[in-house]
Amino acid sequence: MSTNIHHKIESPKDRQNRHKAMEAIKLINTIKEDFKFPIKSMEYFYDLFERVYCKNEPLHGDKVKVGTMCIQIPSEIIYALDGVPIRLCNGFYTDDEIGSDLLPQKACPLVKATVGHFASGNFSDKPDIVFSPTTCDQKTKAGAIIEKFGHEVIDVDFPRTKESEASREFFRKSIREFTSKLSKFQGKKLSRKNLKDSISKIGYAQSLYHKLTTYRQSDIVPILGIDVFLITNAFFFDKIDNWIDAMEALLEELEVRSKEKIHVAGKISPRIVYTGSPPIFPNYKIPQIIEQSDAIIVADETCSSNRMFNDMVAVDEWLVNDMLDSISDKYLKACTCPIFTKNDDRIRRIIHLAKQYKADGVIYQAFAGCTVYEMEQRSVLEAMEKAGIPILYIESDYSPSQHGQLSTRVEAFIESLKTRRRNKK
Amino acid sequence: MKYFAGIDIGSTSIKITLADEAKNIIGFKTSASGSMFYKYAQETLDTLLGELNLDKKDLAYIVATGYGRKLYKEADENISEITANAIGAIAAAKEYGEIKTIINIGGQDSKAISLDNEGNVVNFAMNDRCAAGTGKFLDVVALKLEIGVDELGTRHFQATGTPLSVSSTCAVFAESEIIGLLGNNHSVEDIVCGVHYSIAKRIVKLVKRVGVKEGIYFDGGPAMNEGLVNAIENELGCKIFIPKHPQITTSYGAAIMGVDSYKYEQNQ
Repeated sequence: MSTNIHHKIESPKDRQNRHKAMEAIKLINTIKEDFKFPIKSMEYFYDLFERVYCKNEPLHGDKVKVGTMCIQIPSEIIYALDGVPIRLCNGFYTDDEIGSDLLPQKACPLVKATVGHFASGNFSDKPDIVFSPTTCDQKTKAGAIIEKFGHEVIDVDFPRTKESEASREFFRKSIREFTSKLSKFQGKKLSRKNLKDSISKIGYAQSLYHKLTTYRQSDIVPILGIDVFLITNAFFFDKIDNWIDAMEALLEELEVRSKEKIHVAGKISPRIVYTGSPPIFPNYKIPQIIEQSDAIIVADETCSSNRMFNDMVAVDEWLVNDMLDSISDKYLKACTCPIFTKNDDRIRRIIHLAKQYKADGVIYQAFAGCTVYEMEQRSVLEAMEKAGIPILYIESDYSPSQHGQLSTRVEAFIESLKTRRRNKK
Repeated sequence: MKYFAGIDIGSTSIKITLADEAKNIIGFKTSASGSMFYKYAQETLDTLLGELNLDKKDLAYIVATGYGRKLYKEADENISEITANAIGAIAAAKEYGEIKTIINIGGQDSKAISLDNEGNVVNFAMNDRCAAGTGKFLDVVALKLEIGVDELGTRHFQATGTPLSVSSTCAVFAESEIIGLLGNNHSVEDIVCGVHYSIAKRIVKLVKRVGVKEGIYFDGGPAMNEGLVNAIENELGCKIFIPKHPQITTSYGAAIMGVDSYKYEQNQ
């Protein structure tokens, strides 16, 4: 049918990019504009997300980009083999909607969004190879779906128990296997020096994160939780050297701010530990609601943030195989993911964080369809009750329309924490 | 010579179209519905007849349609705006090709209508409980941005940044969202563009409910807004056809129905 108005029509790819840009800019603007005390050095991160998600700017040029489907693929090894790790966990509702046509209705939005992203083939930095650890069921199965879109996807065996020596040995073997496959793909041999350097570099990045957390432990908190999620999410894809520079600048500014006693929350704003399914840009729905309801997130126990930086690789001997073993131990033993049969570590860590960061309460969010987090909430709730730590459990997804119902629940919980505080004094 | 009137009494405006026996448009007139539908419809019809040097006696058949159709007592027949819209759209787009899907955005509702190969309505979806994404919504937006509704189209194409979406599905809440965006010094153009895309996304969802079939026709007052047309085309990923006078399609369809009903009665 001919038409009488002449506009150029967007291609499906352009349309998807625009949808994602609209999602991204909405969040970036809100973070920038809602905040009374903007941090100058956060501009780098706001700009980074805008460049990547609104302008589709590629960051890594000709470098080999190694896509990782989960936190359990060691970046240390990827860097040592001259690749760039790109974490593919996705937080876009636009991609979630595309993935919904390919996965069961009740699947986890994060997995749907990741698959949807691949289905559209729309990447600013397209992964050259994808490593998919066999962590949760849905991610494990998603790997095979992604393969159909013309990507090389390699499974990395991951055990579901972490207490036994057998599982430790199993994963050490698995990591060596992964290393040799990546080494072959790159046509490069893993050298002692390169591996040592990348362990040191990531260790240094982690130390900067740890320094950042010290500011959040104090009574005067100079940075919002939502900004910290943005910083840690940037580690998914940013050039590590740029990220380190930006962090150093931020820490200098935070030092000044804490001396000037700039507190980003209110006088009796409750302090929150955030846990559960990972907040991934731009799905910061719940963190945003929390901090818009006069609370502040001081710490988190999630795989898109704290879990990436909390534990460092501890090396006994600086020989390649020893380093590889140390790396695999860090990625298995320190992990507090609810995919494990027993996961008391996670409960211990949440309680520890709550005490260390003087938190008034915990907010536990699970994506509808993220079975392991949904299942583990019962044991976490019981443990928190025992420890006398108030906790709120929320189920949510990526859709932008839930705001009203969720904010009422969060606000009520935060008000109850304020009342407790007042009664304590 | 006999003439046939189609009177479409909508929530926001009254549209009247006169057709001859060959179903050609002889003239049309629109006016605001205001608070007295019947009175204003009468006045509009009188004005139109006066302009065409015709008399009420020249009208062989009157068909009323639209939200206020039952209030127009002199009508020989009442038909729903869905039927009238389909008939009018097919006639208006005759020289352009076949119509399979109709998008209509009115003052207070929006519709997606799906037609079969014979031009019969097979399915339709309506958003009739809320003013989100309707003409009223655009009025509210323009008022807040302190620009005319007719400027929205031009402003859309002047946007330079990422369109700023308005996520509230309610016109009332959207208003405060827009105030927030303005308060943070975002450009009027980027807001307008974002509003158009927010409406377009919603209307495309409605279209998908009835099934997207090529041969898409868009009418109703907001179809005069080229920015909104552009947004809907981008969301659908295909061209859509806009009639010369998008506001009067439904009243034209009612007038055509009048011709057919009159002829049928004559043959009985």
